[in-house]
Amino acid sequence: MKFTLINNIKKDKVMKLILTGFLSFILLYIISDIFVKYFGFGISVDAIKITLVGSEAEFIDPITKASFLEFWHVEIFFMMMILLTLSAIFIRLANRSRTFMTNILMISAITSLVTIALAYFVSAIFIYIYVITFFIWHLSAVYMILYSFWKLYAKGV
Amino acid sequence: MQKAYKLSIIYYLIFSLLLIISAVMLFDYKIGFSYEGVLDYYLGDEEKFIPAKSSGGALKLVLPHIFSFGLISMVLLHFLVFTKHRYKKSTLVLIYLTFLSALLEIFTPMLILNGFEFAALLKLISFFVFLSLILYISWLLFYSIIHE
Repeated sequence: MKFTLINNIKKDKVMKLILTGFLSFILLYIISDIFVKYFGFGISVDAIKITLVGSEAEFIDPITKASFLEFWHVEIFFMMMILLTLSAIFIRLANRSRTFMTNILMISAITSLVTIALAYFVSAIFIYIYVITFFIWHLSAVYMILYSFWKLYAKGV
Repeated sequence: MQKAYKLSIIYYLIFSLLLIISAVMLFDYKIGFSYEGVLDYYLGDEEKFIPAKSSGGALKLVLPHIFSFGLISMVLLHFLVFTKHRYKKSTLVLIYLTFLSALLEIFTPMLILNGFEFAALLKLISFFVFLSLILYISWLLFYSIIHE
């Protein structure tokens, strides 16, 4: 987190390049995450419902409790690490919207994690909230990455 | 520390809490919080149709945990540097205890598989000690952010 201590990142060529590489990888992760979920767990309400509770009509078994808990556990770990580093970079580079965007990103991400567990253990109705918050945090993250790129490279900013 | 960074850390603490909850649920469901439960999970039990774990199988589970336990401990503990706890002796004890309990939690399955059945108790103790320390560090950070 050395970048939090450097006064002018834009003038520090090495740190600028490192942050560019790192932000590119976070962007790749966010985009890949959507595709992986699309082909596996599902990103629409119907697809997620089939994954969680199964479908008698299509002879699909619901996800086992052990598999769901493993999925949830791994998901929490990756999200906490990626979102902490992304928000730290964004806070360092942005001036105005940093508190607002950090709140939007983190609250939607945490809500998506809580609601997917509620959807599995309590009621499938929580899938709706999960899908909405899933897209909010992904879009917020993409915005924060692109904004950080702009702040790093735009002249006169 | 800037207000926005404090906010980011508070959210990280909430994520940590969720991670602990999921870890406890997973441990409870797959292994169980009893001495026999831990032994059955690793050594197997024919009557309960539980297959024994191989060393390779246990290592597959150990590998990602070595990285994640180290990373989570480092991230949480390094935030303490920004608080008044930085120069306290108790912080050093906390650091040693956290990494030691993480190490025991990760590698006790290898001991169990190699005939040291008492390690099942160590596994349970180190699991709870590690999670309790993570919770305690989180509380210290939260308290420092709110009151400093």
